[in-house]
Amino acid sequence: MKTLQNIIFAILVIGLASCEDVDMTKTTVTAPAKYQFERNGASTVSFSGQTTRIMMAEELVSALSDFDQSVESLNKMYANMDALGNDVAPFSQDALNISTKSVRSKVAASNDLFNTNAVEGSAIKAQLATWMDAQINEVATNQDVLAAPGVAGQIADGTKTRYLNAYGLEYNQAVSKSLIGGLMLDQIVNNYLSNTVLDDEDNRAENDNELTEEAQSYTTMEHKWDEAYGYLFGTADATDALGTIGQGDSFLNKYLGRVNGDSDFSTIALDIYNAFKLGRAAIVAKDYTLRDQQANILKGLLSDVIGVRAVYYLQQSKIQLDSNKGGAFHGLSEGYGFIYSLRFARATNSTDALFSREEVDGFISTLMGDGSNGLWDVTPTTLDQISEDIAAKFDFTVAHAAE
Amino acid sequence: MKKTAQLGLIVLLTIVSTIWVGCSDDMPNTDKTPNDQFDRSAMLEHWADGFIIPGYQSYLEAIDSMDAKAERFVADPNISRLNDLRNNYRFAYNAWQEVSMFEIGKAEELALRNQTNIYPTNREEILGNIISETYNLELPSTIDQQGFPAIEFLIYAVSATDLLIVDQFKSNDAYKAYLTNLTSRMTSLTREVYTNWTSGYRETFIADAGSSASSSVNRMVNDFLFYYERFLRAGKIAIPAGVFSGTPLANNVEALYTPAPTLNKSLYINALTSFKNFFEGTSKYIGNGPSLTAYLGYIQILTSGANISHAIETAIDNAIEVSNGLDNDLNRQVEVDNSKMLATYDALQVVTVLMKTDMLSALNVSVDYVDADGD
Repeated sequence: MKTLQNIIFAILVIGLASCEDVDMTKTTVTAPAKYQFERNGASTVSFSGQTTRIMMAEELVSALSDFDQSVESLNKMYANMDALGNDVAPFSQDALNISTKSVRSKVAASNDLFNTNAVEGSAIKAQLATWMDAQINEVATNQDVLAAPGVAGQIADGTKTRYLNAYGLEYNQAVSKSLIGGLMLDQIVNNYLSNTVLDDEDNRAENDNELTEEAQSYTTMEHKWDEAYGYLFGTADATDALGTIGQGDSFLNKYLGRVNGDSDFSTIALDIYNAFKLGRAAIVAKDYTLRDQQANILKGLLSDVIGVRAVYYLQQSKIQLDSNKGGAFHGLSEGYGFIYSLRFARATNSTDALFSREEVDGFISTLMGDGSNGLWDVTPTTLDQISEDIAAKFDFTVAHAAE
Repeated sequence: MKKTAQLGLIVLLTIVSTIWVGCSDDMPNTDKTPNDQFDRSAMLEHWADGFIIPGYQSYLEAIDSMDAKAERFVADPNISRLNDLRNNYRFAYNAWQEVSMFEIGKAEELALRNQTNIYPTNREEILGNIISETYNLELPSTIDQQGFPAIEFLIYAVSATDLLIVDQFKSNDAYKAYLTNLTSRMTSLTREVYTNWTSGYRETFIADAGSSASSSVNRMVNDFLFYYERFLRAGKIAIPAGVFSGTPLANNVEALYTPAPTLNKSLYINALTSFKNFFEGTSKYIGNGPSLTAYLGYIQILTSGANISHAIETAIDNAIEVSNGLDNDLNRQVEVDNSKMLATYDALQVVTVLMKTDMLSALNVSVDYVDADGD
């Protein structure tokens, strides 16, 4: 039945298109002032699943700084189930406990990068779990020891105390910054903004025909686009998502805000917000060329956020290597996570990732490899080298990203 | 002829530029004020001999004495010895305000300020340490369990009345040990800093008179400004006034437990005055000498620029005047009329802006501390 409808509709479209050939280029799609779309008076925007996962991730990364947690309790927050797959209630909020969603299932799980690459996808999921395990078994056990080369423990960073592994790395920073790439960026740019997802099955024909999902006000394609939006703005202030950029979460929203605060990138948040709105409006207007243009803009700019922050932390930490070791390690640990996240950055106008697994692993081993004690031995030359290699793949320079 | 003239010009330019480069001992920072010939060594010497070394010496004497009073008190806890210790604590806490800003060299390496004056102090952890008797005051996580605020808690607030405080110490050796561990740790750290200054670091500090980012002047200016922003402006006024949190935090004032005559306003005024004296070069030990006002005055003439030092001095004087109107108990001031605290913050903030933008730009100094990430 639906297929027949589609065929009829397709014929109609072809017929219409042939009549309108002269006017094709004049079609203009206007984005609304805010990310708000309606059909028959009801909002068609929905991203509650993304909101839930961001909130789960927030609780998880907070718990990583709580040494009363156990490997088991952290894993429950990560997977929202126990080792046998039973339902658990690890979160402070009922809404999260009731949910069957989890952080873990969506890490390194995009269609474009991991659909036929489960080997790497499950290795990444496991890597994050390994860091959480080590936070308890290496760092929490040494919480009352002074950190030193080869010795896990605590170190001062101004009036703050940082907790490091034996190589100077803060596992909680590695996890939370890797989630920005592995969960948020990967889902947005390699999944929901991908043509393979937006145009999956009959999505286009249904959208053309405004066939909404069962009991919903939105078409599948509209919803996919919203899910991309939700991984950036899912916990942001809906009345002023752009004005409150940086305050929405501890993940991609926060660091887009940080990058936007750098005068070299002062329009990036606006450009991203506009592209999300215009792309969504293009779907409503069934203008898929325009939609794809906006998707490409978003893939490039959101990938930039990861690249800029990776370079930023390497450069800022370089300044502090002698004067504030604890501050340098903190920055390098954030940088470590952003480098790990580079794997999920998207090459512009391409279905490929910007960095291969080997390239990312190479950066990490270079960063940790100046001596036998990891970050304790890292040199300014190494930090500059990695910064240059990262920036070379993007359209910004090390100097642009450094401040 | 023409070619020869060109060649001559090139040679001349080369020579001139070589001399110009050769004049400055450090690579950067010479482009903006290329003729900056201010005698930085003389300023550094005045800082070392007029403020830092005699300041640490006075402070060390004060805490040495406090340590002795603490030993005397725990040897035979009674009200008279407790009051003796308290008086010494008041005196020493004031002496600290005059040196807290000099977190450079050994003091920076040891993180002296963090181990001397982090408040609010952590009462639960302190009591936990005393009960467990296993604690390591060298750990960064224990900075809120030591220093003046921890001592203050022990000698004023660990029990409800003076008699009960005395009893607590009389009947419990772990209290005695904790108190004297705190006082002796402060003296040993400070002695290390002072000895470092008097056994070679003074000369290193004065000799490093260039204008690179790691030179003594650049680092001292940064440390001085960092202290002003974070510990004087924010710690003493803005945080209790709730400027950053949105809600006033009256119990985050300095010297919360010291009863009348309350100490926190006088500590704050002393800190602000010491800050001003250092800026102006007014030493209470050796009189006037070159400091930042002189340097800014020199730059003003050199560049025909604005009178920045006057603007800063006026702003500091205004801040002191506004501050004088505060209640002697800042905790009460927050609770009764926080608007006066906020007005004080505003006055202090004017100084921050002038120093961080106008002064640093005139002196061609870059900020070397990064704003915390907030996590």
